[in-house]
Amino acid sequence: MNMIIKDDYLDKLIASWKKEISPVHSVSYLDQLKADALNCVESLRLPTIRDEEWRFTDISSLRATPFPRASAATLPVSDNQADTFLDEAVCKLVFIDGRYVPGLSVQTADNSITVSSLSGLTGTSSVAEQYLGRLADFQENVFVALNTALMHEGVCVIVPADVAVKVPVHILYISSRKEVTVYPRCLVVAESGASVTVIEEYVALHEGVSLTNSVTEMYLKDSARVNHIRVQRESPQAFHIANSSALVAKSAQYDSISLALGAHISRFDQKITLAGENAGCEVDGLALIAGRQLADTHTFIDHANPHCRSRQLHKCIMDDSAHGVFSGKIMVRPHAQLTDARQLNRNLLLSDRARVDTKPQLEIFADDVKCAHGATVGQLDRESLFYLQSRGLTETVARNLLTYAFGGEVISRVTVPSLRQHLEQYILARTRIS
Amino acid sequence: MSAALQHLVNQPYKHGFVTDIEADIAPKGLNEDIIRLISSKKNEPEWLLAFRLEAYRKWLDMVEPAWQNVKYPKIDFQDISYYSAPKPKKKLASMDEVDPELLRTFEKLGVPMHERAALAGVAVDVIFDSVSVATTYKEKLAEVGIIFCSISEAVHKYPELIKQYLGTVVPPGDNYYAALNSAVFTDGSFCFIPRGVKCPMDLSTYFRINTEESGQFERTLIIAEAGASVSYLEGCTAPRFDTNQLHAAVVELVALDDADIKYSTVQNWYAGDENGVGGIYNFVTKRGLAKGRNSRISWTQVETGSAITWKYPSCILRGENSVGEFYSVAVTNHHQQADTGTKMIHIGPNTRSTIVSKGISAGQSNSSYRGLVRIAPTARNARNYSQCDSMLIGSQCGAHTFPYIQVQNSSAQVEHEASTSKIGEDQLFYFAQRGIGAEEAVSMIINGFCKEVFQQLPLEFAVEATKLLSFKLEGSVG
Repeated sequence: MNMIIKDDYLDKLIASWKKEISPVHSVSYLDQLKADALNCVESLRLPTIRDEEWRFTDISSLRATPFPRASAATLPVSDNQADTFLDEAVCKLVFIDGRYVPGLSVQTADNSITVSSLSGLTGTSSVAEQYLGRLADFQENVFVALNTALMHEGVCVIVPADVAVKVPVHILYISSRKEVTVYPRCLVVAESGASVTVIEEYVALHEGVSLTNSVTEMYLKDSARVNHIRVQRESPQAFHIANSSALVAKSAQYDSISLALGAHISRFDQKITLAGENAGCEVDGLALIAGRQLADTHTFIDHANPHCRSRQLHKCIMDDSAHGVFSGKIMVRPHAQLTDARQLNRNLLLSDRARVDTKPQLEIFADDVKCAHGATVGQLDRESLFYLQSRGLTETVARNLLTYAFGGEVISRVTVPSLRQHLEQYILARTRIS
Repeated sequence: MSAALQHLVNQPYKHGFVTDIEADIAPKGLNEDIIRLISSKKNEPEWLLAFRLEAYRKWLDMVEPAWQNVKYPKIDFQDISYYSAPKPKKKLASMDEVDPELLRTFEKLGVPMHERAALAGVAVDVIFDSVSVATTYKEKLAEVGIIFCSISEAVHKYPELIKQYLGTVVPPGDNYYAALNSAVFTDGSFCFIPRGVKCPMDLSTYFRINTEESGQFERTLIIAEAGASVSYLEGCTAPRFDTNQLHAAVVELVALDDADIKYSTVQNWYAGDENGVGGIYNFVTKRGLAKGRNSRISWTQVETGSAITWKYPSCILRGENSVGEFYSVAVTNHHQQADTGTKMIHIGPNTRSTIVSKGISAGQSNSSYRGLVRIAPTARNARNYSQCDSMLIGSQCGAHTFPYIQVQNSSAQVEHEASTSKIGEDQLFYFAQRGIGAEEAVSMIINGFCKEVFQQLPLEFAVEATKLLSFKLEGSVG
């Protein structure tokens, strides 16, 4: 439908990447996948606010910054990053500017799960062929296509059947330099009956402009459980564009919490397909933004089978001139009878310059369903403020406390205690300023 | 239970017949000459022709919208006749002189004009294929200074008012179909309520589309001056045809300080047969401007007909403390499609809006609610409450909700709720236990579902609406 217009930005990205690599001769699945994705990039263009899905998120400023792909990290990570490590996470994988750093990573001694980088995977196993790029659709989405074509390496977590991994797997992406683009990639496969907690965390050591374009694919086989926690604390100037897809099979349960705290412009696209009977998902999110930040969350929950259940709570807190965007679509396919879906989006505006655009959507093609969604936009409740003030709290303290409590509802759902504690402190510190 | 009820849902369209009146039809096609022809046929002043031509030129530059959740074959705008009027026999002095053929048509519709007018005390401005044929109760309204006439009459009698307000709420270049309407509108209603006057009766027009293959392009303009109030009813039925008919109307409302406009619609145009053949395309732009302080605009609609209903009656709440309301029931069956909702644009401080939308889909139909609530930075303490509920009857239909909420003021309170449900076996069982058959039970459940909206309708419309829903839907459960 669209005319193919040569896209400068994409051309520059690809040109700088082509300079960097030598031509590939092998024809492994991964190379083929990358080549296919590259072809797609060439036929796609960067979205603009004229595209419905990007109506409220103007990424034209990204055009001015066709940053090259980050080269191998040379910077050793100092101790001050130690506080991002979690007590419980015995298994941690650290990436600096997209490159795996074995020196900082700890893999479990326990052989029950396979954690490896993608490059290590391709030669030996057919896992990549079976899963990689099958869920994250790069035909339509230019960012997924870019990630697929240009990914450096990635992490792959495979949990064998009926194994319950007790400790969380902590994947830490550190951005150490500005003016580069990184393409993190994550693949999680939970075999039937397996359960695992995966934490993806994005932090920055600088305050400059950079771009993270990440893609996560999760496969949940029958009766598997995955708890997915995503924390985005990028530099205040950064662009963060992420896509996450989960395929949830029969009786499996996918729970996810995503937190958008950093970045100048962040966009998170989440797609969950309930592909088997009795599958379920719980999808929560919190965006806490201030200054001129923009946080955009798009979720798509696809009820493709009967008897599935979904719950969603997404909250946004906006201060200063921040701009929150939420678009949540729940699709109930024909025959997906006895679907039970609930979605709630709540937005708190702390300043008159702050702005929110929300679009909760239901598309229902089956009649025997229970579906509801709600959205609210408002300010702090005057009566609650008055009550706290009557108990001797100053107005500022009362406001901060209520704001903290508003965000706390989502944070309290984080099941990893040390991470929850970090986040609580972080949010307390953030709300104290306002 | 389904077999017994099936025939009910498949009731043929009761009002499908063509009245045999000689019509004065313009050749098919659209160009500047046709617009000049329409304008000259109606003896319009130069400025109105200029208005039409400007709209036409804008229309030429516009692209047909494609974002809507309805599908239809491409419309050939050159294959439509843009003007048709019953040939005037002579000037009519009283009701008795109205074409007996025409009167019989209304008889068949079950709305004998004089009887209805007398019964309900309603002034009926009858629009029959684009030209106003008879107007009643005019004197009574004139006593209090209310102007209620066809828009072409108003153009001649009150050109200043038309000039001042026409196109101010829906500008000619507003959207594709509004531009088309501005270029070719043939008739419609004009209503002016002067300062401080409460309209003593409900005003109503009766729209019918007659001559096959003639799209109707009405233009309605209602102005309520400071302190005035009016309740306006619009009811529609159309005869049965097999080729699709385009209907692109524009309705503009202007409410000044403390004014109150209530606009109610019952729409039951031909919806096509059970295979989705034929039916009216109802692409309408309706918008009200709550311009003054404390003004109020209220839309109530019951949409049961048309192959495609695509409209968003909207309120621009500019005045301080102004209020916007939207109450809607949209029923789709067979292959009908509806993409309807509202826009509430809050500009003034302390503005409030309420949206209650009920969608009922049966058969293979699709019904969508699409709405926008925008709170501008200037709208301090704005308040919105939206509720959209859908009911699905049968497993082949679809219900969709696309609300857009855009807030730029922290003192705003915006709430949106939506739910989807069906008529449960347990509910039917409960009724059966009490000795109430499935047919009646469904009717009661649906009327209960829509009650909040029906309460907003004027009495005689509420009765009509209840009846309409009954024969539209009963029997589709099972």
